[in-house]
Amino acid sequence: MKSWPDNLALHNESLFNAVLSTLDMVVFEREEDSAEFRLQGLPPDWWCMWVGPANGTVLDLGQCSPFLRDYLVGAHPIWGGQSGVTEKSGPWTEPDRQGGTMTLEATALSIGSKKLLLIERLGSGFEQMHAIVQRARDKMLAEDVTAKSHRKAETSLMGQLEASERTKDDALALLQHLRLAALVLDERGCITFASDRGLEMLGLVAKQVIGQVWEQALPFQRQDRSMIREVIDASSTDRTVGPLYIEGPHPSWVELEIHRDPRHLGRQIVVLSDRTELHTLRQALSEQASFHDLVGKSPTMLRTYQLVRDVAQVDTTVLIEGETGTGKELIARAIHFSSARKQKPFIATNCAGLTDSILTSQLFGHKRGSFTGAVNDQQGLFEAAEGGTLFLDEIGDIPPQVQTALLRVLQEKEITRLGEAKPRKVDVRVVAATHHNLSEDVVRGSFRADLLYRIRIARVQLSPLRERREDIPLLAQSFLGQICTATGKRIERLNPDALRLLMSHAWPGNVRELKSAIEFAVISCKAKEVLPIDLPPEIISAPVIPSSSVWIPLPNRDEKSRFLAALSDAKGNRTEAARRLGVSRATFYRRLVELDIDPR
Amino acid sequence: MMQKKICMLGGFAVGKTSLVRRFVSNVFSDHYRTTIGVTVEKKSVKVDDRDVTLVLWDLYGEDEFQRVRDSYLRGSAGYILVMDGTRKATLDTAIALQQTAAKAVGAVPFVSIINKADVRSEWEIDEGVIEQLREGGWTVLFGSAKLGQGVEELFVKLATQIVQTSPIPSDSL
Repeated sequence: MKSWPDNLALHNESLFNAVLSTLDMVVFEREEDSAEFRLQGLPPDWWCMWVGPANGTVLDLGQCSPFLRDYLVGAHPIWGGQSGVTEKSGPWTEPDRQGGTMTLEATALSIGSKKLLLIERLGSGFEQMHAIVQRARDKMLAEDVTAKSHRKAETSLMGQLEASERTKDDALALLQHLRLAALVLDERGCITFASDRGLEMLGLVAKQVIGQVWEQALPFQRQDRSMIREVIDASSTDRTVGPLYIEGPHPSWVELEIHRDPRHLGRQIVVLSDRTELHTLRQALSEQASFHDLVGKSPTMLRTYQLVRDVAQVDTTVLIEGETGTGKELIARAIHFSSARKQKPFIATNCAGLTDSILTSQLFGHKRGSFTGAVNDQQGLFEAAEGGTLFLDEIGDIPPQVQTALLRVLQEKEITRLGEAKPRKVDVRVVAATHHNLSEDVVRGSFRADLLYRIRIARVQLSPLRERREDIPLLAQSFLGQICTATGKRIERLNPDALRLLMSHAWPGNVRELKSAIEFAVISCKAKEVLPIDLPPEIISAPVIPSSSVWIPLPNRDEKSRFLAALSDAKGNRTEAARRLGVSRATFYRRLVELDIDPR
Repeated sequence: MMQKKICMLGGFAVGKTSLVRRFVSNVFSDHYRTTIGVTVEKKSVKVDDRDVTLVLWDLYGEDEFQRVRDSYLRGSAGYILVMDGTRKATLDTAIALQQTAAKAVGAVPFVSIINKADVRSEWEIDEGVIEQLREGGWTVLFGSAKLGQGVEELFVKLATQIVQTSPIPSDSL
């Protein structure tokens, strides 16, 4: 530390005063003996103004501010200590004589033996520092206000959020309480909400569906998904889909109502309704009007359905009798698929128009080389139908030799392939059909009586369509639906006049002819409904009979005329002529022979 | 006449200067001008029929820029802790300053005031905290320098406590 001489003084008094003036400072020296503070040099103007002109060169502590008095008491240790040590009072504010204030700061220091007190008026440096602190504090206060505003907004939002959550919880509780099944889809088709009942109905849990695209998450079948997609994308007001089948441990049927979320038009609210019970009831009703592929709800058909069910329960041979086109093969199929053999093959064959050897080979098979062209061993239809059902259509047309072989199969449950000697065991149920009156054939000697008794253990007799006209609308609508689905045409219904024509027609070709007529009409139809003009000409031109009248079978002469006309219209093409008449080719050929018509 | 040094302590912008000015000059300004250093004011009050001159040391607010010097507290007969009800942080500052003051001047009387009662709805200092302070031996008053509420009561209450704890009249600088 630098040491100072005891007789330190500025020799140039004017320079000393100039320094004091420049520093805007007043300097006192503390006298040891009196403890008074004596003014050194010339004081600045502000000091003179502050203490007043009456005050001399000694600092009057009684007139000093409490702050300075307090400081001077505390500054003693500085003056008693080492030379060169200083202590600042820190700033304080005093009123000046002009009604303002001034900020002062005192410094105690000792230089050598001299104890000095410096009082300076803080100027622009202090004001700058004050301004900086002021700005900093203003900024802190502003930030505090901002932070408070944010906290307030956050609190408000949290309150709103809580209220919203409560509302949501209440709505959800209500939704669950009402057991309402609902889903919400966002703009991308992702499921954002699923009610408990909705999940239960779909057989899913929340984690399987929330956030997933509905098409992947919901267990609908492919074609049903397309329907739903169409409704979501469409702007139609009818936004109901279903009932749709849902597979699973508890299969069900649901109907969907798809609503646009009124708050966000891109979102969809899907309300699900369980239609399983309704569907079951509808199906039960529908089953009364149909059975397997059979359609009709006339008393005759209802009796037939029951008979088929009864026959299916036993394993006996069945004879199905009915005119051509009445659906004998459909009955055979219904028997098979209602029976315990339904998992095994159902094989149908038409026995009409086949020679002995071809039919025998077809039914029982043959050994290689057993006849010309038998290049391989070949199993017959009995073997192919093993465990299942063999449907022999037009059994009345079987040649006598085949009748004998067939009788043996039915009795012994075994067949022998052509060219083989060893019989083979078969387990086949035979369902036969004929349009003949086999009893008459037996009398005429063209059909074996023992075979008749063997195949006629159970009998199903099918009524011609003309005897169950009430089934015509149902059948026609059913065929219309099937054909439209197959062709992709969108025809909704039959015009009442067209239906009236259908109801009036004789339908010698029975249901097959009706189906053929509807196919014709669908091809011709250009509107949403089938008009009379769309129907085949033979139906349009036929005289309309009163609905209450009883259909009278046409005599063979008329039928012959119809066959001839059909052949003529088809320019001799027998397949086309058969189609126009609504009969099979086999029946067509048989009837040509029976009606003594030369196809040429 | 009895003179008592009283220090005004608290965080910045809590209203120390405003309380002093309201008490001494009955004026108030919404404009905030920060105090740097010390301003000393005087005002006499009557306590038990005795005139007591309160020498009010309005110290700068404590924050990260300025720390209160212990030397300023020296010789205080009591002190007032000022808080801003709308800023919870000023409570923490007041608690810290009380500990500083207790170390510097010992167990002299002190009174605390939560200022800005005119905006009570915006207060962040809640009743639970206030109750805890009172349970800790603090005298907690509510006031508003802006409205003049509780200001006179504040100084008189401290003066009374000071007088009661110093029965022998003596001048204190």
